[in-house]
Amino acid sequence: MEQEKISKNEASQNGREARLMKGNEALAEAAIRAGIDAYFGYPITPQSEVLEYFTNEMPKRHGVVLQAESEVAAINMIYGAAGAGGRVMTSSSSPGVSLMQEGISYIASAQLPCLIVNVSRGGPGLGTIQPSQGDYFQAVKGGGHGDYHLAVLAPSSVQEMADFVFDAFRLAEKYRIPAMILADGALGQMMEKVILPEEGSLPKMQKPWATTGKPNSRERNIITSLFIEPEKMEMINLGLQEKYRQMQSEVRFEEFALDDADIALVAFGLSARICQKVVDLAREKGIKAGLLRPITLYPFPKDILSKLAEKVNFMLVVEMNAGQMIEDVALAANGKCPVYFKGRMGGMIPSPEEVLKELESLVEKQSVSQD
Amino acid sequence: MIDNGTKENLTTEIKYSSKDFATSQDVRWCPGCGDYAILAAMQRIAPELGIKKEKMVWVSGIGCSSRFPYYMETYGMHSIHGRAPAIATGVKINNPDLSVWVATGDGDLLSIGGNHFIHACRRNIDINILLFNNKIYGLTKGQYSPTSEKGKKTKSTPFGSVDFPFNPLSLSIGAGASFIARALDRDPKHLQSIIKRAAAHKGTSFIEIYQNCNIFNDGAFELYTEKESKADNTIMLEHGKPMVFGKNMDKGIVLDGLTPKIVRIDEGEFSVNDLWVHDEFDKSPARASLLAEFQELEGFPHPVGVIREINKTTYDEEFHAQINNVKKQKGEGDLKKLLFSGNIWTVN
Repeated sequence: MEQEKISKNEASQNGREARLMKGNEALAEAAIRAGIDAYFGYPITPQSEVLEYFTNEMPKRHGVVLQAESEVAAINMIYGAAGAGGRVMTSSSSPGVSLMQEGISYIASAQLPCLIVNVSRGGPGLGTIQPSQGDYFQAVKGGGHGDYHLAVLAPSSVQEMADFVFDAFRLAEKYRIPAMILADGALGQMMEKVILPEEGSLPKMQKPWATTGKPNSRERNIITSLFIEPEKMEMINLGLQEKYRQMQSEVRFEEFALDDADIALVAFGLSARICQKVVDLAREKGIKAGLLRPITLYPFPKDILSKLAEKVNFMLVVEMNAGQMIEDVALAANGKCPVYFKGRMGGMIPSPEEVLKELESLVEKQSVSQD
Repeated sequence: MIDNGTKENLTTEIKYSSKDFATSQDVRWCPGCGDYAILAAMQRIAPELGIKKEKMVWVSGIGCSSRFPYYMETYGMHSIHGRAPAIATGVKINNPDLSVWVATGDGDLLSIGGNHFIHACRRNIDINILLFNNKIYGLTKGQYSPTSEKGKKTKSTPFGSVDFPFNPLSLSIGAGASFIARALDRDPKHLQSIIKRAAAHKGTSFIEIYQNCNIFNDGAFELYTEKESKADNTIMLEHGKPMVFGKNMDKGIVLDGLTPKIVRIDEGEFSVNDLWVHDEFDKSPARASLLAEFQELEGFPHPVGVIREINKTTYDEEFHAQINNVKKQKGEGDLKKLLFSGNIWTVN
């Protein structure tokens, strides 16, 4: 089998095995190693390999995999299995994640930990099967109805597709919230070397709220998202907001060549990889550019961006959408420097050259002194 | 203003040929796909349906079959996964003047679309649903579907599926569809005749078409479509005719109470006169349900043809009749009168 061929150890790093894997497969393998109890999913391009990897591996190892009749069913199975105390996840691509929004809102309100992976593609509507970052708003601003957030992690390599499964579950279980990995079709489909996380290295948590049966020694607990009295509902909301405040300590980002930079590119996920190349190209031309890559899209690294805005002449936000994260960047910059945007939509990926061109024309406009 | 169209509006004296229903689009199905045969059958029979091209609408969801609207030279909507019956309902309600057709697959209609499907049938909205059943997800490259048989090995069930499949005929009978039939992609003449019947029927028409996906589920219906095995494994239903089947037409179905049994009619014990006589128009769904269940019974032939056709008012009829009735009783609405009625006052 092809699977066997690619899973052969290619190298070893600190005794941990390295494999050449697709992003989708690395994610699924990491989830099995994270000890997930159940996966519920539905085929959709470009993430069907996640489902297929689980259906191949889980019966041989551990965990239950179920191909649901729809993404709506899958997220509700997650609701049930998370409520029963399981470490559970689902994955889909943009149109399928839209279908899950009702369930995600309920899960957020009922305060259950789980992982939702979006290997996103270009929209709106059925759109295209090519990669996109058009679901940023949906991921970080809630997506469904009501005041809630997910912990959102944005990988930019196959390695992070694997690593962030562990990080996402840590956040989900620590704060009892749904977590999301916001990837894209290119990260799901590309093959790279990955050092896999160790099996069993993510400890299981006590879940005293879970529906695991009620002996006399246990308090009765009803998992619900219905709180008819507005006073109670406001208390629940205040509790959620308190969690989100505490979560600010979980902010993660990556800086690239920012020390002496007077121009900052800001990009996440795949766009950030493109921007690394842009930084190299710009520096060859004597433009002192650097890159800030938000890793957690929620909580958003607004403090570092705020400080950066004081230091640089301007920021250029690069996204594979019509301009979504730029709103959060501009909010963080708060007028301290101009914030510009370069993006492509509908499954198109900006080339480093076209971003560089944009950067150069902005530099010219700003008359930034080059030495 | 909604045009309270009648059947007359749909019909035409214009003479079409099948070419008039073909589009300039390249047909993008895999070579050898059963969908080509269904498309050809539809284009061939379309001129005989007496429906103006501009009055015909094809609505689809997501999947291989859902590319159908691109290839029929009529109006079309390529819509959301599983939602075609709901979208077709919207089309028909807003413009009852149209002849509304749904092209769908087992992964589309019977998974996320299951809910919309049963409610379209329940309302008996006057639409035609063609289910291209190939028992697999083709577009996402070979995962099992809601009609895949238990134990089936697919990309998403490498150790065999543990799910029971849906029986589309039983489901549509239970949901209240008023025209239910089965046809085969490999028997285009028969398929055309069934499409013609569906078009003429008022109410929800449902046709399950056995369709071969030669890439991901090749030969799924071989037994029922290939020359050598077809006669022994299918029963071609005809209204008022006894249920005879087999290569030598020597087998038949008798009803022992509510239990169907296969008998030989060439051995003296049973003759053709003892056999179950098919009644398409039977008001009770009992026998149609038994027919639908044949596929679950070991050794039973799969019935092909019209399983059931009943007369029932359609939702679109009832809905517009209600509007007309209310208008008759209360008179045409008068917006000004409505605005100046009740608790109003003049501000000076």
